[in-house]
Amino acid sequence: MIPAGLPVALTLGEPAGIGPELTLDVWRRRGEFEVPPFYVIGDPDFYRARAAALGIDVPVKTVTAAQAVETFDRALPVVPLDMNVTAQPGKPDASSAPAAISSIRRAVADVMAGRASALVTNPIAKNVLYRSGFAEPGHTEFLAKLAEEATGRKAQPVMLLWSPELAVVPVTIHLPLKDVVSRLSKELIVETGRITARDLHDRFGIVRPRLAIAGLNPHAGENGSLGEEDRDIVAPAVAALRAEGIDAVGPLPADTMFHARARASYDVALCMYHDQALIPIKTLAFDHGVNVTLGLPFVRTSPDHGTAFDIAGTGKADPSSLVAALALAARISARTPTLATAT
Amino acid sequence: MPSKTKPVIALAMGDPAGISPELTAKVVALPEVREAARLVVIGDRRVYAEGEKIAGVTTAMDVVQAGESLQPGETPIFVDLRHLDPATVKRAVAAETGGRFALANYKYALELARDGKADAVSFTPFNKRAMRLARSEYDDEIAFSAEVAGLVGPASEFNVLDRLWNARVTSHIPMAAVPAALTFDRIERALRLTDACMRAAGFERPRIAVAGYNPHAGDSGNFGREEIDVIEPVVVAAGKNGIAAEGPFPADTVFLRAKSGAFDAVLTMYHDQGQIAMKLMGFDRGVTLLGGFKFPICTPAHGTAYDIAGQGVASVGATWAALLLAAEMAARR
Repeated sequence: MIPAGLPVALTLGEPAGIGPELTLDVWRRRGEFEVPPFYVIGDPDFYRARAAALGIDVPVKTVTAAQAVETFDRALPVVPLDMNVTAQPGKPDASSAPAAISSIRRAVADVMAGRASALVTNPIAKNVLYRSGFAEPGHTEFLAKLAEEATGRKAQPVMLLWSPELAVVPVTIHLPLKDVVSRLSKELIVETGRITARDLHDRFGIVRPRLAIAGLNPHAGENGSLGEEDRDIVAPAVAALRAEGIDAVGPLPADTMFHARARASYDVALCMYHDQALIPIKTLAFDHGVNVTLGLPFVRTSPDHGTAFDIAGTGKADPSSLVAALALAARISARTPTLATAT
Repeated sequence: MPSKTKPVIALAMGDPAGISPELTAKVVALPEVREAARLVVIGDRRVYAEGEKIAGVTTAMDVVQAGESLQPGETPIFVDLRHLDPATVKRAVAAETGGRFALANYKYALELARDGKADAVSFTPFNKRAMRLARSEYDDEIAFSAEVAGLVGPASEFNVLDRLWNARVTSHIPMAAVPAALTFDRIERALRLTDACMRAAGFERPRIAVAGYNPHAGDSGNFGREEIDVIEPVVVAAGKNGIAAEGPFPADTVFLRAKSGAFDAVLTMYHDQGQIAMKLMGFDRGVTLLGGFKFPICTPAHGTAYDIAGQGVASVGATWAALLLAAEMAARR
């Protein structure tokens, strides 16, 4: 088990977005929000300058990860990178990309080495990172690659969107919707369901996770009359999961599986495509959903919002999702068996 | 409002094995509904009496026989087709007799409206399986209504929740068939029909949000091109034709924006894109409106709820909302 008392590592994210001001705001209101002790990996002077620009009083202290918990009461602990961060709010600047990427690398190294209990990532701007040579399709894929480098084992990341009202896992994510049909396979659904069930058990402490599997087509295909995939791909996947002892039901019609009475019958909904998962959770929990990456050898959560360049620097951004991400990371890492041993 | 200017609504009793009889009795008993419309209920008096018993309500009605001429007034009229003995109805079982009952009631209601004897039609939930047992070629309510009453243009199903409308470009087709169906013409037709139906319902210039098809509305082409190639050109063209359309917007947040008042309607590209959000936001209040007919046809968006039938616990909210919407639209005709 992860020893008690470890801090959560928080990444810099895109410095021109709302991540920095939310980081400062959440630390400043740490008592009100009851967030676990965390440190952020970035440039201490950048945070000082941003706090001054926002007109908020946040002492910033340069620390090592080991000093973060004792510092957290008095100052925002920042573990420095050897890089200056200069991007201004709303004006993404490729010169800050190396710092954003290094912050993620360092956070993974910390959590793998047992210096941090979990990692929480601030939103990045992929377009900005691409300009500086970043070649990963996204944040999560990058984390999976770092995990593979650290462990030598293949990591299959699974995205879970969590809120107190509803938890959803999209089986396919960022691809054109017309390509979803060809991407879906029994194997993909089974593998995703397997990882989801295992991590809900290991990390969330759910003794026997109940999976509700959505159908792809309207009315879950109505026995093939509205599409064959539910009968030919989804149903066999549900049967295979059940044969492994996993409590899975489906395929269920997606339009009637998310209201309160239906939600009471399962712990997580497996959805076949992005919006099938995102529409219900955004509708139910717009501002306090948390993105959790399952299937990695460490706990990673992130707020369920983007960089929001349009409001960056105004102090208007809502910290609810970052608060929820920090709290959930601490809660689930407290019960996560880990590869790392504390040194 | 003097009673003779109140619209006449023909209310057909739906599937007798589910919650339709109790919902019909409950909604007729509401003074607010009788204040908004003159009601003509079509069914079997005995089945209706069962519904009253379950619902724990009674309403004084003038009972007439099939074919009798109607003089609708303050007191609701019951057209007794005397075609179903409730003793033969097995609760929570979709049956051919139940399908025939609902079809006959609905046909009678449509004919009243077609012949100018009613201003709008409403019905309590049908059971599709029962309808198909009674009439193997039964496709959906739109096709049947068109057959009985004729169409004035393209017809479409709308979902209405409070003041928010949802229309869809494609409906009951496989997801794999959706991309090919998303043509310029088809999206444009759906948009024009939405605009026209909403104007008929009293919106002066309905503000219509058009949903994208792909995740993040394609994210500038990174996750699909339908937004760029088809949907956006439709929105631009519609704007030139005086339709207040905007988009395409990411589907996962467009309903929240609409619900907060930014739009009056959302046009969605496929069935579940709209149904998931609408059912989540108001499962007990959603109304389905069949648009494209000479008169409004409104029904609760939920189904026959066999699991709670006969207990008297079914919420009348959506049926109530359906009758009020029908009355409001009919009053504007």
